[in-house]
Amino acid sequence: MKKVYNVHTIWLLMIVLTLSTYLMGQQGLSGIAVVLFLLFTAVIKGGLIIRDFMELRDVSFLWRAIMYGWLWTICIAIAVTYIIGL
Amino acid sequence: MTTAINNTEPKLLPGDLAIWLFIFMELLVFGIFFIAYAVMRLQNIEMFNHYQLTLNRELGAANTLLLITSSYFVIRAVQAIRLDNIQQCIYWLYAALAGGTGFLILKSIEYMDKFSEGISLTTNTFYMFYLSLTMFHFLHVILGMLILFAVVIKAKRGNYNSQNHTGIETGASYWHMVDLVWIILFPLVYIIR
Repeated sequence: MKKVYNVHTIWLLMIVLTLSTYLMGQQGLSGIAVVLFLLFTAVIKGGLIIRDFMELRDVSFLWRAIMYGWLWTICIAIAVTYIIGL
Repeated sequence: MTTAINNTEPKLLPGDLAIWLFIFMELLVFGIFFIAYAVMRLQNIEMFNHYQLTLNRELGAANTLLLITSSYFVIRAVQAIRLDNIQQCIYWLYAALAGGTGFLILKSIEYMDKFSEGISLTTNTFYMFYLSLTMFHFLHVILGMLILFAVVIKAKRGNYNSQNHTGIETGASYWHMVDLVWIILFPLVYIIR
């Protein structure tokens, strides 16, 4: 598992997630499920950057709480406004 | 009396603490910007949905790929210096800078296209947010590249090694922040409707 989960595969995963985001945009898809999927994709990518690129996986809880808290707060706030508007 | 070594002690933040305080401030500003965009869209949903379609999604997606890949190159540079491989570290940093340059070129093409159509900050609320958000991020890409360039110069002078590479981690952390912000900005402004 450790061999598969590394910076190379994380980079590849983020490329695939970006392409999926782009394709969903190209299809002109909308609706609650699509908005949530796109934001969840952003959360996954952001989480990978924070955890593995910024290397915050083993730092103290405070720093991780600030970074993950920012990511989740922004995405949940965006999701709420989009759901209200649907 | 023996002193036990606590292996579960949390690690310190990579790089200089000052850059992290700067990063937290930057994220706060971008976060307010993102939420303001989403709230303003609520009051102008049709207009935002209409003008969002005028944006070049291909360039937006290409820029996302460039920043993610550039971030990947930076983490390779950090890994290289930890192995005392200074030359490899410099190559990866140059590759990261190339990714940043590619981002700036594509973004400039996008702006030229919009400006040639007479679009400006005052055209409407959507373009005000699109231009100010992306230009604010554009400036951060430039700042990130200047930091990485300074790191390259110091690396070439032999200032870094496996024991001392805080400067590289500092530049890398800032560059990843630039990437992190774009990860939210791209779907928010270009895709989600």
